[in-house]
Amino acid sequence: MPVLDGVDFVARAGEATAIIGPSGCGKSTLLDVLAGLATADSGQADPGGPVALMPQGDALMPWLTLRENIAMGARLTGAPAPEAAGRADTAIAALGLGGFGDHYPHALSGGMRQRAALARTMLAGRPTWLLDEPFGALDALTRSGMHDVLRDLRATERPTILLVTHDVSEAAALCDRILVASPRPMRIVDDIRVGGGTPSATVDAVMASLRTAGALA
Amino acid sequence: MSTTDDRVAGPAPGATTSRATAEAAAALTGAPPTARGRRPRPGQVALAVALPLLAIALWQVAVWVFAPREWILPSPGDVARAGWDARDRLWFHMQWTILIAVIGLTLAIAIGSALAYLIARSRIAWLAAYPWIIVSQVIPLVALAPLLVLWFPPFVAILVLAVLMSIFPVVVAGVDGLRRTDRDLIRAARGLGAGDAWTWHHVRVPAALPRLFTGMRLAAVFVVSGAVVGELVASERGLGALTRLTAGQFETAITFAAVVLLGLIGLGLFGLIALAERIALPWTRRATRRGA
Repeated sequence: MPVLDGVDFVARAGEATAIIGPSGCGKSTLLDVLAGLATADSGQADPGGPVALMPQGDALMPWLTLRENIAMGARLTGAPAPEAAGRADTAIAALGLGGFGDHYPHALSGGMRQRAALARTMLAGRPTWLLDEPFGALDALTRSGMHDVLRDLRATERPTILLVTHDVSEAAALCDRILVASPRPMRIVDDIRVGGGTPSATVDAVMASLRTAGALA
Repeated sequence: MSTTDDRVAGPAPGATTSRATAEAAAALTGAPPTARGRRPRPGQVALAVALPLLAIALWQVAVWVFAPREWILPSPGDVARAGWDARDRLWFHMQWTILIAVIGLTLAIAIGSALAYLIARSRIAWLAAYPWIIVSQVIPLVALAPLLVLWFPPFVAILVLAVLMSIFPVVVAGVDGLRRTDRDLIRAARGLGAGDAWTWHHVRVPAALPRLFTGMRLAAVFVVSGAVVGELVASERGLGALTRLTAGQFETAITFAAVVLLGLIGLGLFGLIALAERIALPWTRRATRRGA
C-alpha cells in the first residue's frame, strides 16, 4: 500500500502552510521526499530550491556545544568555521540563549534546545523550512513561547514554511493555510485559509474536515 | 536517544576508585546504565572495600588453622613478604608484561577501530570480513599459541596473541556503535544538506565513540590475558613466564605475588582507558559545558 497518494498542493513563497493529519498518515514521509531523503515511486516533488528539514524533537548532536550545534547549519553551507561560529553567536543572542553557547544540549531545557534547533535550521540559509512536529515534545507553556519565536523568525527571515503537526490550534496560530490530510494512504482532503474568520472558526473547520476524512476514528 | 545511554555521573573527588570499580562491574557484567549513573554512598564504598579485605582475612585465618605447607598455600603475609624480597625480580618481569600489554592494546585499538569503520561503512567488507572475525573468536586462541611460537620470534608471537585476544570487543563495539546511530541525528544532518561522507564523519563516528570506549575497556582486560598466555608458552621473561618458573620450583608465594601484579596491570590499563574516555567525551559524563 502506498504511503502517499493524491498529495497535490502548491505552497506560495513566504507563506506558512500547515499539514495536519492523524499520526502515522505519512506526513514525515512527505517531508523526506521534499528534502530528497526519500524518492517517490511516481509523481513529482519540486520544493523550488534547497530546503532545510528539521526533524521531530531537537536532534541536537549531544557531543557538540550549543554554539557548535547551531554553527553546524552554517558549516553545511560551506561557511568557514570562524564565520559559522560568529553567525551562531548572533543567532544565540537573537534567540535569548546568551551565556549558554558552551553548554552541551543535555544541560539545557527542552525549550532552549528547540530554539537551538531552529537556529541551526535558520543558519543553513535555505529559503524553505520543513518543520516536522517541531514542538510536539514540549509542555504547553514552552510551546506557546516557541510559537512566538517562530513568528519572530518568520518576520525577520521570511522563509517558506511547511509545518507538519497534529495540533490544530498550533496550525491555526502559526500558519496562513492548513492542508488537511487523510489517514494512510495520505491524501490532501481540504485546503483551509487561516484568517478568514475567528481562530476558533478555523479550528472548527479543520476538525470538521478531519472528521469527514475519517481521521478522528 | 540511544547515543546518550552510556552517560556517567560527574566526577566525585575521592570517590574515583569506587566509581571505577562500579564502572568495571557494569562494563563486565552489562549492568543497566541507570546503576552507573549514581554516585555510590559511603556505605556502599565501605562494602566494596570490606569484602576483599574480609576474603584476605579468611585466607590468613585458614592458613593459621589448617597450616598447609607453604608451597601449597602461602598466607597473605607470606605472599607480601616474598613479593617484597623478590621485588627486583618481579619488577624485571613486570616491565616486560607491561610493555607487551601496552603495545598490544594500542595495536588492538588502532587496528580494531579501522576494521570496525571499514566493516560498518562497506557492505563488501561487512560480508567478507565480519563473519570471519566472529568465527576466529570461536577458536580457543590459546590453542594457537604453540603455532605462533613456531612461526614468529617470541616477542612477536606473544604480541600477536595479545592483539588477537583483545581486538574482538573493539571491532564489535565499534561496528555496533557506527551502525546504531540515532535516526533523528542522521535525518537532522541530511535534512540540512549533509552528504554521505559528512554524515559518517560528523554524526556516525562521534555518536559511536561511547560504545567504542566500552569495547576498549574490555580490550584492556583481555590484552593482559593474551600477554600472559603468550609468556607461559613462549617466553623466559614476563610475569606469565615467572608464574610458570616459580610454580615449577615451589616458590608459590612469588607465583601469588606475580598474579596480584597481573591484576594490577589489568586494573591500570582499564583505568587509563576510562580516564581517556572522561577527557575525550566530556558530554557522556554529563559535564554541563566544554572545559567544565
